[in-house]
Amino acid sequence: MLDGVDLDLMPGELVAVVGPSGSGKSTLLHLAGGLDLPEAGEVEVAGERLSGRSDAELARLRARHVGFVFQAFHLVAELSGEENVRLAARFGTRDAADRVAALIDAVDLRAVARSLPAQLSGGEQQRFAVARALVNDPTVILADEPTGNLDARSGATVLDLLRRSTDSGRAVLVVTHDPAVTARADRVLRLHDGSLA
Amino acid sequence: MIERLRALLAAAAATVLLAACGADAGPPAPGSTLQATLRDADGDGALERGPAAPLRDRTELGAPAPSTRTLATLGIISDAHVRDEESPARVPFLDRFGSPVDSTFRPQEALSAQVLDASVRAVRSQRPDALIVAGDLADNAQANELDLALTVLRGGRARPDSGAPGYDGVQRASNADPLFYRPDTDAPRHPGLLERAQRPFGAAGVGVPILPVAGNHDLLVQGELPPDARTREIATGDRMVTELRERPKLPDGSSSGAQRVAAIRAILAGPQLGPSRRVAPDTARRELRAGEVVERLRDAAGVPGSSASLDYAADVGADLRVLTLDAVDRAGGSGGAVSAAQVRWLRGEIARAGSRAVIVATHQPLRSSRGGEAVLALLDQSPAIVATLSGHTHRHRIAPRRTASGGYWEIETASLADHPQQARMLRLVSTRGGGRALETWVVDHDGAGLAGIARELAFLDVQGGRPRNLGAGRNDRNVRLGLPAR
Amino acid sequence: MRRALRRLRGRRRRVLTAAALTAAAGLAVGVAGTVGFSLATGYDRAAQRTDQPDVLGRFAPQRLSVLRERLDRLPNVEAISYRLEVNRVRLAANGQSKRNGAVHVVRPGRRGYGVVAGRDLGSRAGEALVERGVAEEWKLQVGDRIDVGGLGSLRIAGIALSVDNVAFPLATVPRIYVSEAEISRRFGADANPGVNLALVWLADPSRLDITLAAARPAVFGLRTEQLLTKRAVRQVIDQAAGIVIALLAVFGLVACACAGVMLAAASAAEVRRRAPALGVQRALGATRGAVVGDETLDAVLVAAPAAALGLGVGALAAAGPTANLLGFLNEVAPGSALLWPLAGAFAGLVTVAAAGAAWPAWRLNRKAVSELLRGGDLATGPAKRRRVPSGGLFGLGARFAFARRGRWTSTISALAVAGAAMLLVLAVADLLVSLRDDPGTLGRRYALTVPGEQRDARTIARIPGVAAAAQRSTVEAADSFSLTEPLRVIAYPGDHVPFEAPPLAEGRRLAADGEVEVGLGLADTLGLRPGSELAIQPAGSGELRFRVVGIVRALENDGRVVYARTARLRDADPSLGGPIAIRLASGADRADVVRRLDAAGFESSATGGATPRNRSFLGVLASVLRAVALAIGLVCLAAILQTLALTTRDRRRALAVMRATGAPPGALAAVLTGTAAALIVPAVVLAVLLQRFVLGPIVAELAASYATLPLGVGATGILLVGGGLAAIGAVAVLVVTRAATREPVAAGIERDD
Repeated sequence: MLDGVDLDLMPGELVAVVGPSGSGKSTLLHLAGGLDLPEAGEVEVAGERLSGRSDAELARLRARHVGFVFQAFHLVAELSGEENVRLAARFGTRDAADRVAALIDAVDLRAVARSLPAQLSGGEQQRFAVARALVNDPTVILADEPTGNLDARSGATVLDLLRRSTDSGRAVLVVTHDPAVTARADRVLRLHDGSLA
Repeated sequence: MIERLRALLAAAAATVLLAACGADAGPPAPGSTLQATLRDADGDGALERGPAAPLRDRTELGAPAPSTRTLATLGIISDAHVRDEESPARVPFLDRFGSPVDSTFRPQEALSAQVLDASVRAVRSQRPDALIVAGDLADNAQANELDLALTVLRGGRARPDSGAPGYDGVQRASNADPLFYRPDTDAPRHPGLLERAQRPFGAAGVGVPILPVAGNHDLLVQGELPPDARTREIATGDRMVTELRERPKLPDGSSSGAQRVAAIRAILAGPQLGPSRRVAPDTARRELRAGEVVERLRDAAGVPGSSASLDYAADVGADLRVLTLDAVDRAGGSGGAVSAAQVRWLRGEIARAGSRAVIVATHQPLRSSRGGEAVLALLDQSPAIVATLSGHTHRHRIAPRRTASGGYWEIETASLADHPQQARMLRLVSTRGGGRALETWVVDHDGAGLAGIARELAFLDVQGGRPRNLGAGRNDRNVRLGLPAR
Repeated sequence: MRRALRRLRGRRRRVLTAAALTAAAGLAVGVAGTVGFSLATGYDRAAQRTDQPDVLGRFAPQRLSVLRERLDRLPNVEAISYRLEVNRVRLAANGQSKRNGAVHVVRPGRRGYGVVAGRDLGSRAGEALVERGVAEEWKLQVGDRIDVGGLGSLRIAGIALSVDNVAFPLATVPRIYVSEAEISRRFGADANPGVNLALVWLADPSRLDITLAAARPAVFGLRTEQLLTKRAVRQVIDQAAGIVIALLAVFGLVACACAGVMLAAASAAEVRRRAPALGVQRALGATRGAVVGDETLDAVLVAAPAAALGLGVGALAAAGPTANLLGFLNEVAPGSALLWPLAGAFAGLVTVAAAGAAWPAWRLNRKAVSELLRGGDLATGPAKRRRVPSGGLFGLGARFAFARRGRWTSTISALAVAGAAMLLVLAVADLLVSLRDDPGTLGRRYALTVPGEQRDARTIARIPGVAAAAQRSTVEAADSFSLTEPLRVIAYPGDHVPFEAPPLAEGRRLAADGEVEVGLGLADTLGLRPGSELAIQPAGSGELRFRVVGIVRALENDGRVVYARTARLRDADPSLGGPIAIRLASGADRADVVRRLDAAGFESSATGGATPRNRSFLGVLASVLRAVALAIGLVCLAAILQTLALTTRDRRRALAVMRATGAPPGALAAVLTGTAAALIVPAVVLAVLLQRFVLGPIVAELAASYATLPLGVGATGILLVGGGLAAIGAVAVLVVTRAATREPVAAGIERDD
């Protein structure tokens, strides 16, 4: 589906990728994060090549360098919001656990930290998702339509979080339809017929 | 495991069945085997109802023409052996040695009075003109046995118990001897049977004239021994011998009466007698003297006379005369004995019979009695004789006796003591063409209550009527006997 | 039908898993069912096939006419055959020989044996029939020759089977049959050796007691050695094989139940998994009935061939060892009769699979279709605000398990039943070993004896490891009425039950000096029942009387035993002595106790177990049991695998997200381990409880007619089963984790079906 895509992300960048549905935006994100392997070509994250890695190595790389945010939030239903963040923290470095509380406060969800996802609104769930993505202090955040399932206000909050997360040199790659996102992006790329423009 | 499931199912089925029928009843028979018989078709040791057994013609003395009129009907009950099973004057421990002492114990012996009562009822339902009791009414010449039997025959309150109230004999459950049937523990189990057997009951009686015949068990101890002081002492005493120390010397079947008496006396006196236990004494157990027995039986018959021998004549209706002969040997021994004086008496009575038919009744068959040949020779010359009746063998038997003037029939009836536990009806009829015939058939009692259990036990008895085929064949039971033309 | 096949082809991998589960269940049922059915019905079948008489009478040799005259009087008899049994005859064939052979001289009439090869004895000279056990042990065939003592070399005309004892070499006496004509030919027509065996067939076998009661007066005076009834023979044979037979029969039932539960769980899980697909069908307008029908048809199409395969393989695998076992017992294999229970099992398995699919399909259809179509992780039930315990990855895995209540419950029940069944197998295996080494079963509970007096018993009882000690006296006695060969009185000063406890058939245990328990053989011969009086003559003293309070199934001396208290026997014979019987405490070390006894000056001897002498017999039994256990283990593996796979599928997205978040494969394994633990731990606990309070007592009760069984579960058993299940769980976790991690993460995130 993707053919001849070249992409470089700079630290501190928020890059938006737009394109018609079915053009492979999600696939691009998955490849970037090592969730899928390209048939040809190379993916490098933070100087580490993803090809030829075992699943364990990929997992380690993801843990250290990549954070994901999904359109459907994808929180584990049996865990509370805080536990979802803590879960991710397990796979990171030792100090990730200390960041959990701070992150939850940062996304302003202390009050509902113990609630299960089913009890949370879409915006709250996505904010937990963002906190989860950030807890291991990744080099890059990959977001797939992060505001797609949110109302305007929640979407704005989440977008804000994503924007601020680049302050510390993190890169953010967002696949989106949302004009609000593209408005605040540093670069906007168009995916068309399998290639980026 | 499957076995247990099967046992459970069988128990459940049995409970249902038991609830459905009465617990102790044998298969009820209506009485006359002309309507239904009892037989063990499947060989499992239990009697069931079978088909009717109509009269079969026996033509050895002439073919019997169809009957026109009944002239007389007799009921015949033989060898009831009503016994006082708790008496110390008994030797049940000899029974296991087989013949000739294998009648000293029977599994159903405590029920003898009830069996007689049921048979009397069955005979009564056939409406006879008179009842012949062909001997061995009692079992051990004891006063209480004869009294009990006569009460049952005549009607009244029968009291089978003796000694202390309740049962105290060899069949009690606490007796360790496994060769006695103990109804509380041995198969077929009938818990409480012995206690029930001791209870008084009301006997209806036969309701018609009774014609008793003297039998050896009516006058002799165990049918062999003339009673004396020693036997009386034992009978009315309080000690019952329970076992032998060693195997006794028994008389064999072919020994004479005197030899048997001697052998039994030797046993009673000898060292083989083992330990004894204490029982409650009862003076009613004393053995009657011969004269007392004859007197009581004569009284029951309503026949006057004073001779020491129970010989008498009785008319039944206008057409039949029954002559009773006393064949008991007062010296002892179970074989029959007829004296020359009795033969003379008989000759006179036959002559006085006129145109009546004559039946001669003895306990032991004449053909095997001492002096019987002389009697038979006399009968052979008397055309009035139509039949001789006897018991003692405990087996049905009907045989023709051919004589110059035609002949007569020898009719033997089985007992109540052993299987088949049947009585007999005998009917004299006139036939078309002016002749006469005899019709005879056997009768089962109705098997209600204890009498039914007695029949069940008698059938199972390995020393009893079944292995020895005392029920005999069809030609010995329900037959029409042709009589020679006069 | 064609549509169904197409549907199934679309889900090939899942269909194969379900089929494998069904096949495993079928295998377990096939093995256990074959063994159980064959053994449970073996005796009855053999008795019928071999025309076993209802009563076998052994007498001193008599003239035929004498015996016939007595026995023809018996009521309820259908037929009687007579034979002469000659013992201590030298038999030799095919390089084997024995000096203690038995020759049965057979007369015309009903045989009381069945001819399983060749033909029966006829008019031809020089022929013999050989017992099947001998033929198999000595490798003889029809046509071979056998040397029979004074008869010389005879040709084997056929092979005969009789169920009046276990087979040679389990019974130590080899047996052959020759005709009376053969004896006449050899020794002359007037040799007239007499007869000493009477075979009695009853018209109504349920009235056996009536015939037995009549037999006593009928045979009085003949030297009767034994009146053996079919029910007593059956008891000997069943006990000779150990109570394992009853256990295996019950075990077959348990295996069936277990398999049924597993199948139902599997089918239900499959349907639940396909809930969204079903929802789509409903949305497209399919009726509920049609959907249920389709599901049921699918389940049947998968289950039927799998069940047939599993049953077939199981039955075939078990057939060999089972035939071997039956051969030892002189019993007959069910042959085609086995098809009925197998068909029933087949129908049962398929029905369970179908019901397992139909029921949840029916129930699922009740939910709103829209609910079914909603994607995302399915969390059943409304979200509750409850304290969810954390526990890291394991806890998460456990929570995944709990989230699907129905599946969790059914899997746990299946595992619990399987676990209980395995515990039962282990208990039985322990029993086999103990049968061989420790006579703590089949009635005899004391392991050692030392010579001594009763006062020594107190000293001995204080030795650590000794649970109880008492003097055991035996007295040979005759019954006062000479109806039976000498009987044996076994006496203890007090209660004998701690030392010997043959199972009680009727009545109760003795409690006073004047009371006794008698063996079934003696009870039959003397007509004893609880409440009867027993009169015996001990050798050298006067008559003693006792009251019978109980009847026991004792094997010793053919059941002609009496259990009593020593007091009365000692009064009659003050010199009465006997060894001290010693019962070991459970878990005691026998060697240690022996040493201590030795130190205290007592020379101990071990008591042998009342077991079959042949070790290979035990070996065959053990291998059969292991096969059954293995089959159950396979079923457990399949169940756990299935559940884990289903969980992984349900939680595909969550697991994918975890991987996306950087979870290494180890983390996934940890989660799945939590899931597996959530299944296995409660299952093990339940299994132990089930075995201890339900299965064990039921089986012990059903086998109680053969032995008093200590079917408890030891710590080793629990560890083995728990460990086994844990190992199975670990294997399952590994397999599923590998499968899960092989898939690219993206796939999990995007699709969730």
